[in-house]
Amino acid sequence: MKLIVLAPEDDNHTAPIKWALEKAGHRVVCWAGLSYTEDCQASLLINQDDTVVLGGHSVDPGDVIWVRRPELPEPNPKVSEADKKFAALEYRSFYHSLAYFLETLPVWCINRYSAARVMIQKAVQMRLARQCGLKTPSTLMSNHPATVREFFARENARTICKGFTPHVWQKEGQMSVAITETFELTADQLPSDEVLTYAPAIYQERVPKDFDIRMVLMGNQIYSYALKNTKQALDWRQDAGLGHVTAELVPTPPDVEKGVLEFARQSGLCFGSLDFGVDAQGQWWFLEINEQGQFLWIDQFNRDARLLEKFCAFVTSPQGSTLPLETRQDLFPSLAEYEELLKNEQVAPVGRPRPDDPFLSLEA
Amino acid sequence: MDKNNRVLGRMGARELTEQEVDAVQGALRVHHTLTPCFIDKQKQLLNGDQAIGECGP
Repeated sequence: MKLIVLAPEDDNHTAPIKWALEKAGHRVVCWAGLSYTEDCQASLLINQDDTVVLGGHSVDPGDVIWVRRPELPEPNPKVSEADKKFAALEYRSFYHSLAYFLETLPVWCINRYSAARVMIQKAVQMRLARQCGLKTPSTLMSNHPATVREFFARENARTICKGFTPHVWQKEGQMSVAITETFELTADQLPSDEVLTYAPAIYQERVPKDFDIRMVLMGNQIYSYALKNTKQALDWRQDAGLGHVTAELVPTPPDVEKGVLEFARQSGLCFGSLDFGVDAQGQWWFLEINEQGQFLWIDQFNRDARLLEKFCAFVTSPQGSTLPLETRQDLFPSLAEYEELLKNEQVAPVGRPRPDDPFLSLEA
Repeated sequence: MDKNNRVLGRMGARELTEQEVDAVQGALRVHHTLTPCFIDKQKQLLNGDQAIGECGP
């Protein structure tokens, strides 16, 4: 068995996990995604023995495929201008063939591409979460001004606004930035109807939360961390980076655990990072799940979390194992050890430049 | 910036100064950060919870 990671080797989660698994004697290979370069070429042969080869690595029965963050397909730039559109579509179609085909093979995909594609949709998440018994805030997704205003006219209700995707605006020639963030909005603050059609948005009942929870799902295991934000900000993400957040392991209420495991079963996801808000009555409100969300940062905030070791134990366990990951986490080195090597330049740096970031815009 | 034709999400965005961007990077011991929302100002990329490696619609 080997682990095939669909991500560049220098992805900030792939690199330390690959290092930890290899140190424990496991075989790990990476495929960054479909591209014209030799290490990103792929083949799919359908005959009596179906075979898939990703960048020279054959996909074999029993392999584990971690669909971490493959890059977008990249056609050969030397192709004729007249053929560029066709080539791009062919690359995209072939990539989809590969991604969907993998989950038909006798391998374990974390997560299955089809499940990930559906569950990345926030509307689907909210509905399924509610159906699984999780408490969800009233939510409107719309670009229809009258409906938006009607939603804001609810009695005794506060409303927040957030985007479907994160985005950053950087002022040209400057290093200061503006980052999308959840923010509270009142009916009086709504802009003109015209502006409401510029981009659809998510309008949501404001959860009167005392604190946030970041939960990590690994198979049948759930780990919940209370994020206490000294700034009491509505959105903790930037405050986490600024060091204003603590992460403390807390027990997951049994009804929430039951709901999350049912959510996982119905969605087909076996791995993901979930966000909850906890109100003054101790009720947990489901906010969202990112099926390949960042999770190693919790190890940096709470050294007892040992999520790197738990993830290594998870991907090297049999699919569907119910054995607590804690029983095998000691087989793997820690993130702190990796960080020390990184600091001393004993492992390769992570994060190479990308030619184009779809989440970043320059503004005047 | 013409504020009259900006999207609502931009109006509600959090402004981070260059010093705050530096602080995000400097707050962690490693030369990269693993947090859910992060700007790498040298490489100009957003490393967030969401990825769009899904290859388009």
